[in-house]
Amino acid sequence: MSKRITLILVVIFVLLTGLLPLLVMFARSIIVDGHISLDFYQGLLTSGREWTLMGHSFALSLLTALLTTIIGVPLGILFIKTDLPLRRLFTVLFTIPLLLPPYISAVSWFDLLGREGLLAQLMGPSVAYTTSSWLFGLPGCVLVLFSTFLPVVILLTMTYLKTINPRLEEAGMLVSSWPQVLKEITIPVIMPGVLLAAMLVFLLTLGEYGVPSFLRYDVFPVESFIQFSAFYNFGAATAAAVPLIIITFFVLIAERLFLRDKTYQIRTMSDSEQYSNIELGNSRNWLMAIVGLLCISIVVIPILVLVLQSFSVVAYKEALSRAGGSLLRSVSYAVIGASMLTVLGFFLGYLIHTRAFRFWRAVDSLTVFLFALSGTVIGIGLIGLWNRPLTNFIYATPAIIILGYLAQYTVLTSRITISTLAQIPPSMEEAAQVAGAGWFQRLSLIVAPLAMRGLFAAWLVAYIFCLRDMGITMLVYPPGHDTFPVRIFTLMANGSTELIAALCVILIIATLLPLGIAGMMLKLK
Amino acid sequence: MKFIEFKNVSKHYSGQSVLRDFSLEIDMGERIVILGPSGCGKTTVLRLLAGFIAPDSGQIIIGAQRVAAEGKIIIEPRARNLGMVFQDLALWPHLTVKGNLAFGLKAKGVPEKDRDQRIVEILRHMQMEAFIDSRPAELSGGQQQRVALARALILQPDVLLMDEPLSSLDLELNIILRKEILKLQQSIGFVLLYVTHDREEAFEIGSRIVVMKAGKIVQNASVEDIKDYYRKLSLNY
Repeated sequence: MSKRITLILVVIFVLLTGLLPLLVMFARSIIVDGHISLDFYQGLLTSGREWTLMGHSFALSLLTALLTTIIGVPLGILFIKTDLPLRRLFTVLFTIPLLLPPYISAVSWFDLLGREGLLAQLMGPSVAYTTSSWLFGLPGCVLVLFSTFLPVVILLTMTYLKTINPRLEEAGMLVSSWPQVLKEITIPVIMPGVLLAAMLVFLLTLGEYGVPSFLRYDVFPVESFIQFSAFYNFGAATAAAVPLIIITFFVLIAERLFLRDKTYQIRTMSDSEQYSNIELGNSRNWLMAIVGLLCISIVVIPILVLVLQSFSVVAYKEALSRAGGSLLRSVSYAVIGASMLTVLGFFLGYLIHTRAFRFWRAVDSLTVFLFALSGTVIGIGLIGLWNRPLTNFIYATPAIIILGYLAQYTVLTSRITISTLAQIPPSMEEAAQVAGAGWFQRLSLIVAPLAMRGLFAAWLVAYIFCLRDMGITMLVYPPGHDTFPVRIFTLMANGSTELIAALCVILIIATLLPLGIAGMMLKLK
Repeated sequence: MKFIEFKNVSKHYSGQSVLRDFSLEIDMGERIVILGPSGCGKTTVLRLLAGFIAPDSGQIIIGAQRVAAEGKIIIEPRARNLGMVFQDLALWPHLTVKGNLAFGLKAKGVPEKDRDQRIVEILRHMQMEAFIDSRPAELSGGQQQRVALARALILQPDVLLMDEPLSSLDLELNIILRKEILKLQQSIGFVLLYVTHDREEAFEIGSRIVVMKAGKIVQNASVEDIKDYYRKLSLNY
């Protein structure tokens, strides 16, 4: 009974934090002065600007998804299936941009290609004028978001390649060469995973606010944000957010209908099974050079530029004096958010893994949907729901930020929990059950300790996503409670280049430090 | 006439010895069954012969050619002219039965017309003609087994490797397929290297049985001698 009640409470909590704000937001957009009205939506359909925004949003999302897939899949294959030198280092380096708020990359590219950037100092203003006009607009947005979301495709490709039954490739190797096996067996078998990665990048780009806003490329999330924060026009902001909800919803439905059942043999390999290493032979060195060049161009140089720009004690002193409080707040909120997300994700993951309720799939889909949704949309929804005198204790406090984290990022911890639980034989819990242990005892004494490593990973991932969040926080933070990414973003308007670069470097350190410590701890163990 | 030879082959996985100083000779047309408990190294023997892994030391010879030696694969799997039926069959899930059979023929450059003819022929032989356009997931266990066998044989290999191919089937189907494999081997004449932990299966299929334990051969003799060996072993206990 305690199991059922607990899991029902968890589901209610997810509905309350994630779904209810969206429903309230939608209701408020169709009720004007106490009457049902579709004025905002009419405006949406008849306004030429909205169609332009739609075109921009689609162009940006499609181009980013296409580019990341075309480059990310071969990189994933190279990193997991070949003897490419430094492949582990490359994997880590390519992953870094995903761990940071995307606009940090935009800032670093701006410091490099902008009119007063490094390139301007090296090659003169005429070159910088061209690169700057190229950076501000669609190409610049695609470049920044490509470098940010490339690891999504690389990591998902690697994950799917790891879970492919190696016998399928060996059966091909008996009669054919690696290129043909890759082309006709490996890639078609992981195709659902590749499409899933492309779809995820499409949705994440569609919901991105920071980069298009910084690089002045008008898309729906920017419009939503402007309508809300500049004009406080809740209805118009919601109406601008609705297309994002609809597109996200239909893309996820398409994924469920066409991809979910096409996922072929997924299994984990034992050590003795890990053959399938492609020897690159003579191609090894030039492939490494190409991958290295790409890595240097889209990861190392942008970060290096930030470090170089911030290279002064004064800048760091100023950064800490102007944003030290925000940094502390950010880390505290991220720690609280990650801890709550880990607990929530654990119960939710358990519910989905054990299929405790008939509607487990709906719960899973809801969390995926909320993750894929723009942070701006969730932020507007949260304000719509909690901005009332009765709930001011939430709206006017950092609780609203934590609720935002819980609304958007639960899927990360629940999915990690699910894959962790899948590795624990059900007999472990059953043995405890036979021994007379209640559900909470089984969870706390058997399941959770066995899943500890996965839960730790879930906490880390959640911490990073909470720390880098800007879409939700930017809208919902109460006065005096801004987070570090928000402070950087607001300081961009009048802060010096050195100051902004120093702030970005501090954020990079705050994000990567726990990862480094965790990596070292795991190595020592 | 000697066709396959393992000469003092050793293999380690993650520091653990899986095969120790393994030597075995196999003649043309022989049916060798490797019998032993799980983890004794019998699958490793097949994977070494297929060329999926290289021996840490020792050498492997097929025909007159050294195919692998001292940590190196000299001849790639595809150039060894082997067929293999895997324990989990490893039928490509995204391809139809025809696609599964055509893959190897295409790789070998067989023209489309000949390809289709050979596919139809072998499927007829396996009584699977009606399922040519089915995907593996649409077939029963026995039908999948036949497709895996057809895929392994369609390129007319010199050697057929079978890694516990019948272990997941019910007894009745297991017995039927044993007889079919035997019939095929006798009519085509390939070398059969068959791995199992089932004694009854081994006695029926093998012309010679190699008993393995902890990476070493403990018995290498005719079926009758092995039966005798087990009889004595059970009397001793």
